Amino acid sequence: MIDVDVSEANLDNSAAFKSEVVALLDKHRKTVIIDLGKIEYIDSSFLGALVAVLKHALAAKLDIKLINLKKDVYDLLLLIRLDRVFKIYNSYNEAI
Amino acid sequence: MNSTKKILLVDDNQLFLKILSRAFIKAGFECLNAESGIEALDVLKSATPDAILSDYDMPGMNGIEFRQQLLADELLKDIPFIFLTNISDNKIMVEGFNMQAVDYIIKDTPVHVIISKLNNLLLTVQNQLEISKHELKKAAEALNVKSIPNTIPHINGFEVDFWHRPYQDIPGGDFIDFIKVNERYSFIVLGDIMGKKWMAWFFTFSFLSYIRAAVRFGILNKEYSVSGILQKVNEVICLDDILKDILSSLSLLMIDNETQQISYAGAGDLPLLHYSAKTGELTQVNSDGLLLGLFADGRYTETNITLAKNDQLFIFTDGMIDFMINGGKKSDYGHFAAELKALLNKSNSFKQLKENLFEPATAMQVDDCSIISIYKD
Repeated sequence: MIDVDVSEANLDNSAAFKSEVVALLDKHRKTVIIDLGKIEYIDSSFLGALVAVLKHALAAKLDIKLINLKKDVYDLLLLIRLDRVFKIYNSYNEAI
Repeated sequence: MNSTKKILLVDDNQLFLKILSRAFIKAGFECLNAESGIEALDVLKSATPDAILSDYDMPGMNGIEFRQQLLADELLKDIPFIFLTNISDNKIMVEGFNMQAVDYIIKDTPVHVIISKLNNLLLTVQNQLEISKHELKKAAEALNVKSIPNTIPHINGFEVDFWHRPYQDIPGGDFIDFIKVNERYSFIVLGDIMGKKWMAWFFTFSFLSYIRAAVRFGILNKEYSVSGILQKVNEVICLDDILKDILSSLSLLMIDNETQQISYAGAGDLPLLHYSAKTGELTQVNSDGLLLGLFADGRYTETNITLAKNDQLFIFTDGMIDFMINGGKKSDYGHFAAELKALLNKSNSFKQLKENLFEPATAMQVDDCSIISIYKD
């Protein structure tokens, strides 16, 4: 599981985030659970990184799940229909 | 644009590190410290400093080896790099300069001189960046490559207007186009490429080219379906070697000025807002489509929108709903809609909206902002 420890997910940390998740996926973990509980705001760079890791996972027939999204972040994903693309859960227990 | 500069200091001598970082912090810099090349590389995984000052002579990985590691990394090789050393051996100095070190500072140098040198270095880097941007802007203007139109279009029965402010006044990923294909049909395009500043701006032209082609070919083939056009655009983007890794949202509208109908299809865009002059209500107009470049099947659908007299339709990118609050950034669609509705209930003049809502928010802007308004006469 990955705990994203930043409150503002943007260009500076999106590259690091992407490489960490991809590294985990390359180790063939069946499911990678990403905890976004500390994130108050995501920008387009971070969204791009999220989508990139999703595509990487799908290509390797692996799964990624997002948990603990804050309301504003979840609402944004809902508005642009990314909730139909990502598996989103309220908590770690729900996701496993 | 004068944000606090971040410096990474790398030295195995803890005392020297402490003295230097204290002086830098006092001078207004943010300081990251590392006692070895390996520790420094670890720090660089999650932070990008504006400059790196590194000791030359360190146990384990020495300064040269550290510099080699940096040069091998795409993201790190261009960060201005200065060697700090006790040795004033010419041969070693040359080796250092061959590694594109910007300068070589002897540690005996008074700390305030070190700081001055660094300030000058950062100023030079900043100036060079400004010059490059200026050259790029001139080149774009000379080639007449624009991602934002100069003028508003004229469509019978409607008044169209728009407002755009790039983030930090650097051309970015938002793009707008008005395409009048013939006397009857006009298209309105609003897109937002993910990413910031020049990185995103470079791609806007490729995206616009595909979109313009898809629109015109569609009309030539008598296909008047916006969702069909979006699907075609998405397919070619997913096949394009460069663009397939770039994501973009797109709002595509077709205005038929014979029927006065508007048809709309969206790709990962924010819902439109339809203001009813009669009821004073602002309603969301949703679409199903996913971001361009996400999946080959974007699941695009289209909606027909009928504007009553004096109604207004708003199409906008997410910069309009993002703002700074209490030192942090937030996205709030509902808040933006509420503010917009409140102003519209007083007056529907786009000029008033610009002055009272869009422009004042510029100070708290965190992204490119674009909004298009379609007003029914």
